[in-house]
Amino acid sequence: MPTTSNTVEVQNLTSRYGSFTAVEDLTFHVRAGELYALLGTNGAGKTTTLETIEGHRSPTEGAITVLGGAPTDRTAVRPRVGMMLQESGFAGDLTVEETVNLIGRLSGRTDDTARLLERVDLVRKRDVHVAQLSGGERRRLDFATAVYGGPELVFLDEPTNALDPTARDALWEVVNELRAGGTTILLTTHYLEEAEAHADRIGLMHQGRLAHEGSLSDLVAAFPAHITFETSLINDDMPIAPTRIRGEQVVIETSALQHDLYRLLSWADASAVELRNLRANTSSLADVFRTLSTETAVTSKEPA
Amino acid sequence: MIAIARAETRMLIRNRLVAACAILVPVVFAIILIATQNNFGGSSIVAALQVIVIAALGVYITATTTLAARRQNLFLKRLRSTTVTDTSILTGLLLPIVVINIIQLAVILAVLGITGTAPQNIPMLVLGVLAVEALFLGFALTTSGLTNSPEHAQVTTLPVFFLTFAAAFWIAITGTEDLALIKRLIPGGAAAELIIESWNGIDTGAAVSLLLPTLAWVVVACVLATQLFKWEPRR
Repeated sequence: MPTTSNTVEVQNLTSRYGSFTAVEDLTFHVRAGELYALLGTNGAGKTTTLETIEGHRSPTEGAITVLGGAPTDRTAVRPRVGMMLQESGFAGDLTVEETVNLIGRLSGRTDDTARLLERVDLVRKRDVHVAQLSGGERRRLDFATAVYGGPELVFLDEPTNALDPTARDALWEVVNELRAGGTTILLTTHYLEEAEAHADRIGLMHQGRLAHEGSLSDLVAAFPAHITFETSLINDDMPIAPTRIRGEQVVIETSALQHDLYRLLSWADASAVELRNLRANTSSLADVFRTLSTETAVTSKEPA
Repeated sequence: MIAIARAETRMLIRNRLVAACAILVPVVFAIILIATQNNFGGSSIVAALQVIVIAALGVYITATTTLAARRQNLFLKRLRSTTVTDTSILTGLLLPIVVINIIQLAVILAVLGITGTAPQNIPMLVLGVLAVEALFLGFALTTSGLTNSPEHAQVTTLPVFFLTFAAAFWIAITGTEDLALIKRLIPGGAAAELIIESWNGIDTGAAVSLLLPTLAWVVVACVLATQLFKWEPRR
């Protein structure tokens, strides 16, 4: 339910391009101080949604409130918001330092550019023209302009694309510092493990609608864990009925992973059956994600 | 706005292609015309050609190219994600182009006045130059809406460039009296006539009537720009 403590409120958002409906009747909110990950299948409408929340496009129908105001309010709202766009949008003929100073200054906030460049590991590139940066360096520059001056709300649109693992870790370190200071984050990403690791709540979009919403544990609760192994001795003595058998590979789906794994291992030990490549996995966001393509949108799950 | 203008000035100087179009080519054109001014009908006609052609090159083509480039690489979108208004963004981007062009024209016209005959009605001459700047800015905003990239600007700017150039050249060759109405209605025609007559000492009342067609074209260009101008590349 929307409340005044919500930093972002999206009510019945519909966005159309001509006759194509990119987003339909979307409702969700982002609470103050939380990291909300908006994920989705390709073409689900998350970029349209994010750009509408950022104020870059007008909704066809519905209402959006950001920090209590209109997303397009450049006087009251924008100084409190940092944006990391999906594509950088920097002028190639400006240097890294000039770019941070320019966009930072236009954000209406103040910061120590040298400290910020050090934080995103771009100090050595401060006098390099943006056109000469690698893809990963541009993303780090983009991130630096987004967090310049410590905004209250930061939009991160696929922030770790083109970043190596070290740079990703460094980026998340800065994000976590911001969160410790109370900053709200709205994230889109294709890296599900990042959403699993960092998001307080996750919204999963499919075909322009919110198909699932909730914390990671909420979302995966309905999906079974998996026990996978290979064996040449598949028989009726097995204590748990396999869900799928492909050649020698056996997959067992279970909602009682520890119990069923114990039964399986006890049986294998007693029967002297070798379980090769044995793996036991709890359900993950990827499992939820895979179901999206086969289901139509359902009502979002709204935690208290 | 000032921060954007400063950044744009840096980029203008650093980008050789744009710098050549905005600074070098107009200066070369001016030197050639001043050196050969006796072949034209005097300083006033050379002044009109100078103003139209140099503003077309330095403001119209440069501004169209700049706006297309800034839109193509999403710099306009980036600027719109900040606290700055759309008007301030455009003003900041275009201000250096106009200021550089006005400085160029001031120097060139001063040299022309010293080497040839001096202008007689300087206030109206200044007004005429500013009207030409406004005319080409309006056309640049409109044309950039139809231009996908800086390279595309080399094609999309040709019709207006040649139309205004032809109007100025037609007046330079045939004078202002024959088919005066048609010449004044063509974009750039009335402005060229205003500059010629201001240089020759037209009274202010008559000059204002020559200003009106140019201002009408500015209004038309600005109305078209509100319909055609885009902040982001077409998807």
